[in-house]
Amino acid sequence: MTTTTQPAVPVQSPFKRWLSGVANASDLGMLPVIAALIVIWIVFEVLNANFLTPRNLSNLAAQIVVTGTLALAEIYIILLGMIDLSIGWNSVLAASIFSLSTVFFHLPVVAGLVLGIVFATVVGFLQGMLVSRVGVPSFVVTLGGAMVAEGITLGILTPHGGSVPLSDSLTTAIGTLNLAPLWSWVLSIVLFGAYAAVTLNQIRQRTAGGHEGGYAAVMRLIGVGVLLFGAVFMLNAYRGVPFLLLIFLIALFASAFVTKSTQFGRHLYAVGGNAEAARRAGISVRGIQLAAFIIAGFLVGLAGYLDAARLGVASASVGNGDIMLNAVAAAVIGGTSLFGGRGSVYGALFGALVIESVSNGMNLLGAASSVRFIVEGGILLAAITVDTVLRLKRLRTGRA
Amino acid sequence: MSGSAATPLLTVRGLKKRFGAVTALRNVGFSVERGEVTALLGDNGAGKSTTIKAIAGVAPIDEGEILLEGRPVTIRHPSEANALGIQTVYQDLALCDNLGICANLYLGRELIAKPTPLGPRVLRDVEMEAEARRVLKTLRINLPALDTPVASLSGGQRQAVAIARAVLWNSKLVIMDEPTAALGVAQTAEVLRLVRDLAGQGYGVILITHNMQNVFQVADNIAVLRLGETVLEARKANLTPDQVVGAITGTLAIGAAA
Ligand SMILES: Nc1ncnc2c1ncn2[C@@H]1O[C@H](COP(=O)(O)OP(=O)(O)OP(=O)(O)O)[C@@H](O)[C@H]1O
Ligand SMILES: [Mg+2]
Repeated sequence: MTTTTQPAVPVQSPFKRWLSGVANASDLGMLPVIAALIVIWIVFEVLNANFLTPRNLSNLAAQIVVTGTLALAEIYIILLGMIDLSIGWNSVLAASIFSLSTVFFHLPVVAGLVLGIVFATVVGFLQGMLVSRVGVPSFVVTLGGAMVAEGITLGILTPHGGSVPLSDSLTTAIGTLNLAPLWSWVLSIVLFGAYAAVTLNQIRQRTAGGHEGGYAAVMRLIGVGVLLFGAVFMLNAYRGVPFLLLIFLIALFASAFVTKSTQFGRHLYAVGGNAEAARRAGISVRGIQLAAFIIAGFLVGLAGYLDAARLGVASASVGNGDIMLNAVAAAVIGGTSLFGGRGSVYGALFGALVIESVSNGMNLLGAASSVRFIVEGGILLAAITVDTVLRLKRLRTGRA
Repeated sequence: MSGSAATPLLTVRGLKKRFGAVTALRNVGFSVERGEVTALLGDNGAGKSTTIKAIAGVAPIDEGEILLEGRPVTIRHPSEANALGIQTVYQDLALCDNLGICANLYLGRELIAKPTPLGPRVLRDVEMEAEARRVLKTLRINLPALDTPVASLSGGQRQAVAIARAVLWNSKLVIMDEPTAALGVAQTAEVLRLVRDLAGQGYGVILITHNMQNVFQVADNIAVLRLGETVLEARKANLTPDQVVGAITGTLAIGAAA
């Protein structure tokens, strides 16, 4: 039992305390992945001076959207300590249902969109039922689910030559247009202002209650500001913030709120961290698992639509393998532990940035896809190794 | 034993529990008073854990009576025990290592605000921290910042979190299964101090431990189980460690409960 409330080293600046906290933490948050991202960007910029241009970074911003949204869906499942292998095909299925219902059955665009997303959500619900009620391992359920979704997708799209071009105005706008630079600035300033107000208010309330450690929050605030305004500046130098990116960011911030600030989010982490403890605390473990699968299904449906909007076509050929693996890789690279209960939804953004930066950079260099696979696989293995090593470190110190 | 004018907080009588062919409890009975610590002792396999699981609703009894404040109650589920004000600190503590201290203290009954009738159920973290700090203070528990993940706490600190957690739920009776096993000397002393403080604040406490010295330090009342039967229940003041050890091992024949 501690008999001290003071820090062990009496006089230490908040900065040094923060720094040593960062150095000793077993959960570093987004710092490692941001560091990795900076290294990757520098390497590609050195290899090809076209990499860090506003134009290419704007492309990149649109490229991360689908991987990022799928990674976001996957994070809900990985936080439970489970895995969802169906997100790739389920998203393509949602896109094909959208295309079929609007192009061939002439449903209103919004109705088709709702239909596609609802369908993906129902797939998530059914898989969640099998996992939470029956107790089938998620790995098996979603592997089967992926094959069923693939089959339905092929069944729907093959009669139409395997792909359906999309030309309705909403989809085209979402897929190709940008928020004008002025509005991008206005929006980002408003958002950052709100975020800063909430953060500062929290710090004030906590310190009033005798809690110290607002320093980390201030550092985070500064970091977020630099990243946000840097990104807006870069994107505005080309055409502004892509609508696609905006939609992804909305899903991301909503998920951050759900996972960090609501009772459901707290219980999600609890179930992933120690399901037995959660059960004894009266939490409905099955209910949380089912809800996570439903939310993931919804996001997967959204990702499917965004992918179709970006490419201007709903196609069966995009579902194959690597969009799912890229999303899992992005989630893990973003610091979500495959052992459950640890990580942050912001990992979806940074993990997707890493994966898509590598892919984008390799394309600029004209690298063969064989090389791309090897490099991306290597990064994934490195991320999983770090995750496992950190977990072992936690287990050792946790028993101290 | 009797003599106290008021009804005891908890009385169990004639508890029986069978697991297939194994009879884990044949005839267990003892009482816990408000503001007192009852130590439940016995050799390995004597039935201590089975007894508290019965009271906590984890594994309901087959036969016997559980009286809470004189009223017979049936406890068939942990939530029923919780509703009656019975909280258990399990041997494995059942904490979520990945969550902070405060999140663990309030797990499953977070304070929430609903901005609209339909939700979302937003966590009131600042209020939870303030309330947790108050409870920890009344128990004189010192812990690091309340958002520190439980994984980085020492064994004694984790025990303290588990105990504070039990107290936060408006409980009357706190059951602890070997809270000092695997703790060092200083941490054991701290947990025992906490046990005494709980009793001092009016909670009834059932303490399971194998450590005779601890028992004589903190218990008011001692009950000894042997082969699923209560073989001794008496005030600590009327007992010597040798008598208790004798009752545990069966070398000392004691007539009925003193
Ligand atoms: N789930 C079970 N199934 C079958 N037998 C059980 C079960 N739980 C307990 N028992 C048996 O009941 C008896 C009492 O066990 P119990 O765990 O209550 O002992 P204990 O006093 O807590 O021992 P220890 O000091 O080792 O913790 C033992 O013989 C044990 O093998
Ligand atoms: Mg036991």
